[in-house]
Amino acid sequence: MSVIAIAVASESGVPIFSRKRGNNDNIQFSTIASLHGINMFTKCHNLSLINTQVENGTILWKEFCKSVTLIGIATGGLEYDLELLLSCIHDAMVFFIGKKDLENLKNIDQIKRDLRQCYPIIDYLLETLDPNTVPRSTIVLDSIQSMLCPQAQQLQQVLDNYAQTVTGRWACLSIHGHLVATSSDFYELDVREARLLLLLAAAQDGVPLRDSLVYLPQMSPNVAFRAVTCKLLADVYVLVICGVTPPLSQIDEIVLQCWESYAHIIKEAKLIHPRNFPLSITFDPVFIGIMVVNINKRRCVFSRHLHGSNQKSRGMSGVHRIDILRTFYVTTARDLAPEFKLERDDREVIDGAVSEMYWCSEYHKCHAQRSGNLLCCALYAPTVPNHTMRLLTNQILQDLSTNKDIFW
Amino acid sequence: MNSFKTKMNYESPCDSDNDWTNSSEDSKYSDSESSVPDWDSDIGEDGELVYVKIKSITKPVDESKAPLLENCEAFKLRSDFKRSSTRRSTKGRIFKVLKARKVTNKLNGNEKKKDVEDNNKFVIIQVSKNMIFSSEKNCQIEKLFGISVETHADGKTLIVADFLPESKAIYTPKVKTGFYLHKINGIEVTSFNINNVLQRVIEDVDNPKLTFQVVTEGYNLDIEKLLTSKSTPENSLTQILKDAMCSVLYICCNDVEYQSNDDKGVLYCFPRPFNQNFLYNTRGAYLTLNHLAPKSLGTSEPTVSTVLHKNQLINITYASHYSDLLLVAIPSGAIDVFAAKRVINDIVRVLEFLYGSLKTCFTKPNNVDKLDGLFSRFFVTLLFGSLGENKNKSPSEVHGSSYFEELLAAQAVSLPLEVKIQIDDAITELEAADYREWIDDVENFQRLYTVIGSCLYYSGHVLSSHLEDEDLKEVYAYLRLNGILKLSTEKEIEKLVIWKEVFINEHRKQSKNDVSENRIPDGRWFILIVGKGHFILATLMEAGGCTEDAVGVTPPSPFYVEECESCLELLFEVGLNKYLPSWFSSNSQPQVEVTPEYLTKHGRKLRDASSKLDVRSSSKVSKPHLDVKRRHNSTEQINTGSTSDNSINNYHSTSQHNLYAQWYNGPLKQYRHSSLDVSYSEDSGSIKSNSELSEDRIVGRRADREQKNRRDSSESDSDWDKQDSSRSSNIDMTDMRKALLDELNHVAVHKITAGEENVLFHFVHLESEKGILIAPVKNIEVQANNALYTYILKTFRSASKKIHDLLQHSIKFKQSDLPSNPLNKILVAVKEYGMLFEAPGEILSQCGISKKNCEPFYFWVVGRVFSEPEPRELYLCYHESVPQDLTEIAYLLSYLE
Repeated sequence: MSVIAIAVASESGVPIFSRKRGNNDNIQFSTIASLHGINMFTKCHNLSLINTQVENGTILWKEFCKSVTLIGIATGGLEYDLELLLSCIHDAMVFFIGKKDLENLKNIDQIKRDLRQCYPIIDYLLETLDPNTVPRSTIVLDSIQSMLCPQAQQLQQVLDNYAQTVTGRWACLSIHGHLVATSSDFYELDVREARLLLLLAAAQDGVPLRDSLVYLPQMSPNVAFRAVTCKLLADVYVLVICGVTPPLSQIDEIVLQCWESYAHIIKEAKLIHPRNFPLSITFDPVFIGIMVVNINKRRCVFSRHLHGSNQKSRGMSGVHRIDILRTFYVTTARDLAPEFKLERDDREVIDGAVSEMYWCSEYHKCHAQRSGNLLCCALYAPTVPNHTMRLLTNQILQDLSTNKDIFW
Repeated sequence: MNSFKTKMNYESPCDSDNDWTNSSEDSKYSDSESSVPDWDSDIGEDGELVYVKIKSITKPVDESKAPLLENCEAFKLRSDFKRSSTRRSTKGRIFKVLKARKVTNKLNGNEKKKDVEDNNKFVIIQVSKNMIFSSEKNCQIEKLFGISVETHADGKTLIVADFLPESKAIYTPKVKTGFYLHKINGIEVTSFNINNVLQRVIEDVDNPKLTFQVVTEGYNLDIEKLLTSKSTPENSLTQILKDAMCSVLYICCNDVEYQSNDDKGVLYCFPRPFNQNFLYNTRGAYLTLNHLAPKSLGTSEPTVSTVLHKNQLINITYASHYSDLLLVAIPSGAIDVFAAKRVINDIVRVLEFLYGSLKTCFTKPNNVDKLDGLFSRFFVTLLFGSLGENKNKSPSEVHGSSYFEELLAAQAVSLPLEVKIQIDDAITELEAADYREWIDDVENFQRLYTVIGSCLYYSGHVLSSHLEDEDLKEVYAYLRLNGILKLSTEKEIEKLVIWKEVFINEHRKQSKNDVSENRIPDGRWFILIVGKGHFILATLMEAGGCTEDAVGVTPPSPFYVEECESCLELLFEVGLNKYLPSWFSSNSQPQVEVTPEYLTKHGRKLRDASSKLDVRSSSKVSKPHLDVKRRHNSTEQINTGSTSDNSINNYHSTSQHNLYAQWYNGPLKQYRHSSLDVSYSEDSGSIKSNSELSEDRIVGRRADREQKNRRDSSESDSDWDKQDSSRSSNIDMTDMRKALLDELNHVAVHKITAGEENVLFHFVHLESEKGILIAPVKNIEVQANNALYTYILKTFRSASKKIHDLLQHSIKFKQSDLPSNPLNKILVAVKEYGMLFEAPGEILSQCGISKKNCEPFYFWVVGRVFSEPEPRELYLCYHESVPQDLTEIAYLLSYLE
């Protein structure tokens, strides 16, 4: 049960960093050298190791920018995402030091030092593959964890206004690390860039206002932008990517101007939090957890508090529910969204168009269905018959796609 | 893959056709009265024997023309057996019937060379001199002929690589890419002289004439030949395997043991030479990984690595033996990761079975040639598993040997009780080895071998096994990987005898912990495989203990070979060779729906319409038509009409026992000439629980009620399937021509799904511990001959792989005593996994359902694991219209066995 990510300079073999999660020992220097050696050696023979499976896990080498090799080792059932994880880690590296520096690797010690700042983000990312913990901020790697609230539309206008005043384009509001509202242009950003922004806010825990230099791995890997994170209320952050001006002191004033009068809306939105769905959507009592993915916008919503606080959960802890849904999604239900497939996926592809999937286990049932852009994974009590399950999921999907309070 | 095939063909003309066609001369030999068995001269120095003789007529067309003659002649020969006549009294009757029907027919051996001659076919194309093609590369040959060529791996032959757009019309469809450019204006061209020849063409006034050599699919890989050859595989084959990136490597990492080894611990490498073997060249990587993973990374040893080499994805599988490592590389295109993981297990199984352990296998002196032969057979079977059948399909579809079912376990068929008894009886008699009847002086002869078990296959299906589970798995792996099962499926075997010393599992395990008092004797074990027709009988024999000790080189004993042969003979005598094909095509145990489109609304209309027309000439294997069936059923079941009319008639309507199917079923339709022992099938229906049968006879409202009760009492958590349905019934087709269909009369067709109509498309019931699975017969797809059904099966297989992988977590968890730590606690709890698929519109329209009037066609693929008492898995594929309860279906299936 562990996830290990190691970065090595491809040519020199200098280890850049190694991060791990789980119950294994630290990786020794000699092991890193051997792992790198394996990759170099096969490369010399015109052979590239694409994937190695071990019992219940995977070992992966991936070279980025022709300069950095990332080695990932994951066991424990969620290793399907290892390749995605490695490219997310690479993104995080680019995010902080830019692609140019990463390609040149001129002053490797300096780079190693610079990369320290992305450790917290990498650690967040590693959590997503560790089956023993439920990640704090990123549950699945291919979509952004969000909240659906009726206020989103209103907040968008505020965000647009705010972004304009700070000469930025892309702004978003996050509550408890969940994406709540975005500026109109926000979807120009790649999902991974957007997530890095959110993680940035999470990593800068508690700082009221801060700007940092960031490179957008997809959009501008070589020219840095300024990312300004500002804490509006407890657990509420507004993030914006903007140019060099205005200075931070001025932004402080702008934030106040823009957001002061909307504090009540934000507070209202904040109330949605553990449920993550607008109150106008009701769930049948047999639902014990749900995850909805908007495939186009790459956003997902998890909820395990579907029925208000008065109902006691039956036996299963809430955290465990999210864990089940996550595992179900990663190992199984993702097949419903072929859009999320990596470019070259060497995993066995299922022929045929899947439209629904389910699992039955001794303690729960999971069901996933897709309708258009929405993919819904629902967790049920084990006593619910399969056809009821199908009916209910279908209803919820329809509800979600027609409800006016939902604003992705 | 494509280029690969071409290469494979390339060698054939040089290697002389005679080599490959074989058997034409062989077949002239006669099984005369001489006491020396015909396989005697084939016994190797080590006493091992592989003798294969295939009936010269392999074409199904021929078979249907003259099956009786063939079989009768065979009977005559076999009845010369000195003992067989005394074995059974039933035989006489059958034999008489057969004789009465004997038809005189001359053998027709003309066609057999046709396939091979294809390879020497040439296509001649004349290109007008006036045409000048625009060549981007300014290449002479493109300009002149509008084709681009590339050089074959041999560096000499020119292969058509592509056509320029303008020239395509000239060449296609006669010439295809991959053909060899053989001659230009009658001059043979190679890469060396091509420029000169082209120069001449330019100077020549006449229009150039191009001769292309036709390259057909790889017929030339002849498993028969591979099986019998004792020398190293021919270079051409090695080249093919090399090109396909198949490779085997065995590395000994214990330096002390093999210091003298020049190859740094590499004990075996195939194909050779070493330095051209990519696996050999990169062995360090896998070796390091194999050490590193458990020691430093805390994971298990690697199982499979996927690598990209020369633009080809290759799966390299690992098998550790103490400090040694066996690596097997197979291209991913032919064998995917799922299959590769299982293939390596099978390979290890076979090697241990044959040699005792991996170590002895690769350190045994003078064994290299044998291993080369063994591995080349393995690879040929794996790569070209079903090329023979699927020659029309594109290479990507040729996954014959990596079918889900085949990889997991040996496929068994459930047979009527009577037949089962007959078969078991025959095998038991062989095993009992009661020779008093044949040997006068029993007291003075100590027997040579004890039979410790045997199993019988028919067309690749296990009919009966009296082997221990592990032995069965090993024997199955041996037969499958060596292509013997495939051979017996595709061709009719005249005679096959294989004799080999083996190391049985029990003995191998025992020698490790040498304590028990009930230990099996320190003897030697042999496997004797005898084949005839589509039957393969594998027998494990023990020498030692109560028998004479086998010392030194031990060739097969003619006596035991004859024993096994006469056991098969007995099966022929009782007519099983005729009965089984019809049973296999009867689709009854349980029945699967092979025309899935009839389950849609529009399809129902189609069916009704077609049944009115009584389309005899339908190109599909038509289903029995509703009306036809009604007529046949009417006499007996007219009184059922009132209440349970619907269920029963509908149900019958989907049965496969139609009169016409035989005309379309190709090789399976021998039962027209049926001369069967009717007694077999008489109460075959009784396999199904008797109570249910008797209930079927109660008709009307009471039956209805009782059925309902029965269903209610079964524990189902779905209330949908509590509709009444008849699950089994006797088909009584009274006014059908009895003589034709006698053996199918009274066959109980079993439906295991809930609901009125049969919504079951396919199922696999796997008992991995036993190494046995039950599924519809292997050629069900061919029988169905239906695009939608083929699509469904394909989807089923690929989905089942995924489901199987996931369910393994649960099985492993239940089996191991380890703390659940290394396993994902969520995944181990999953016991059922289902996926709903939608059939694409194109496929539906191929089946006559146009897009506009069709509701979407959904079908489920569901897998479930049952962990008690030993893990069993059930995979089911059914139409979405009726929800099913897998527990219930597993229960019903267990009744069929």
